[in-house]
Amino acid sequence: MSAVVDSHGHAGEQHDHHGGYSGIMRWITTTNHKDIGTLYLWFSFIMFMVGGVMALVIRTELYSPGLQWVDPDFFNQMTTMHGLIMVFGAIMPAFVGFANWQIPMMIGAADMAFARLNNWSFWLLPFAASLLVISFFVPGGAPGVGWTLYAPLTVQMGIGMDLTIFAVHILGMSSILGSINIITTIINLRAPGMGLMRMPLFVWTWLITAYLLLATMPVLAGAVTMTLTDRHFGTSFFNAAGGGDPVLYQHIFWFFGHPEVYIIALPAFGVISQVIPAFSRKPLFGYASMVYATAAIAILSFIVWAHHMYTVGMPVTGQLFFMYATTLIAIPTGVKVFNWAATMWKGSLSFETPMLFAVGFLFLFTLGGFTGLVLSLAAVDIQLHDTYYVVAHFHYVMAIGALFAGFAGVYFWLPKWTGRRYDETLGKWHFWLSAIFVNVAFFVQHFAGLAGMPRRIPDYPLMFETWNKISSIGAWGFGLSQLLFLYVVLKAIRSGEKAPQKPWEGADSVEWTHLPTPVPYHTFETPPVLK
Amino acid sequence: MSRNLKTALVLASIALTTFAGIVAKYWILNGS
Repeated sequence: MSAVVDSHGHAGEQHDHHGGYSGIMRWITTTNHKDIGTLYLWFSFIMFMVGGVMALVIRTELYSPGLQWVDPDFFNQMTTMHGLIMVFGAIMPAFVGFANWQIPMMIGAADMAFARLNNWSFWLLPFAASLLVISFFVPGGAPGVGWTLYAPLTVQMGIGMDLTIFAVHILGMSSILGSINIITTIINLRAPGMGLMRMPLFVWTWLITAYLLLATMPVLAGAVTMTLTDRHFGTSFFNAAGGGDPVLYQHIFWFFGHPEVYIIALPAFGVISQVIPAFSRKPLFGYASMVYATAAIAILSFIVWAHHMYTVGMPVTGQLFFMYATTLIAIPTGVKVFNWAATMWKGSLSFETPMLFAVGFLFLFTLGGFTGLVLSLAAVDIQLHDTYYVVAHFHYVMAIGALFAGFAGVYFWLPKWTGRRYDETLGKWHFWLSAIFVNVAFFVQHFAGLAGMPRRIPDYPLMFETWNKISSIGAWGFGLSQLLFLYVVLKAIRSGEKAPQKPWEGADSVEWTHLPTPVPYHTFETPPVLK
Repeated sequence: MSRNLKTALVLASIALTTFAGIVAKYWILNGS
């Protein structure tokens, strides 16, 4: 690759120039992709804490059988809001934050294609989050229907349900606008020489994820709009009393919901695909197959939705179709896991914090994937449906998988973002505490589920007590460990040692090779020429 | 019209059509 055409001396002089405003107005009016990326990341961390507190309320109540701390209605509100906030408020915005920071830098673009739209996409989120929080304080409280918002319960809930529906609409609009921006940026703003098959895997995974978002968020919007009209405008889409069908809601929701799993997982795969080669000091093994596997996962994700609803009474042929389609996803996912392992094979490995989280991801996400295969089998799933086995499975995939990839990404790019190194010893403490406690919290839930413990209940028989006690201790340990993460990040920002342009020897994408550390406020004033 | 705007309009029309299509399928066509 050639040296960057952009004059960094000039850019460096402008480093402190943050546009026309300063203070809070800078953040409200900013159109800079790095500022907006930072906003997304902090917002997602705050939501992660809010959703985490809700998880701890749930786990504290479940520490012992019987009703101890909260009444069942409030418990249901906690499970619902924990799910909604973690999925839509924490995980998705975190990866959009990564996209905002990284995509323009990785493809040699000056900024996102629509900078003002980017600002709006972010600032929609606090309004949506506020609606979700406000729903706790209206008559009837927040909806207690589960994050999937299944009808017909949603048709019967109080005004909190309306607030949640509007929140989902706003979150969906933010996601759609964000994905339009990301696709346009990647398609139109790549620097000369940055061909599609030269793009870093992180960019590829986000291009495919953005298409998934564009195709599925309107479906969710349609489902909740129909719920809204059922509630207030006399329609009966999902109301059996009026000739509607509650199962229709489940079909529409999961047509969105399963691709949503990959909307969360694919950017996580992208982060891991950047981290593992850097700390293996080798190029990614099987780049082209990684791209095709990502696309294959995305396409297959549209034909597996009904594996979430084997128990609604579908024909055996339907069960067989969705079972085989679901197991097919193991093939491209296996290609990815194989390629990550092959990248490490005979590499010059070192295990700094990002690599620890990446390897942790590899083990734990794969474990979650395997329990997914178990659940894909209709005969088994009918036994395990709505048990804690399912809770354990999706927390391994979505909570541990996405979170560990997120932590790997933050530790990996933090020196580039802030210009400062984090405390490596504390970072490693964060990893080991998280890895141990998260398994204490979730691994035992497999056993509770196999023994028949249903999900979304505040009370349970004595036979499940031991598993629940262990799980609650793990959850508290995991939650408290995240305060260490906050401390490590703040310490790096305030007093971290200055980082060089390329702190990781094996990192070779454009942000490391063509941009100084910290990155100038205006990333590329003229596009770099990449050879 | 810029290339970026054209791309965005195509993508936005996909999203809008999907949303309207889902609702219309079960409302106007009654799911048939």
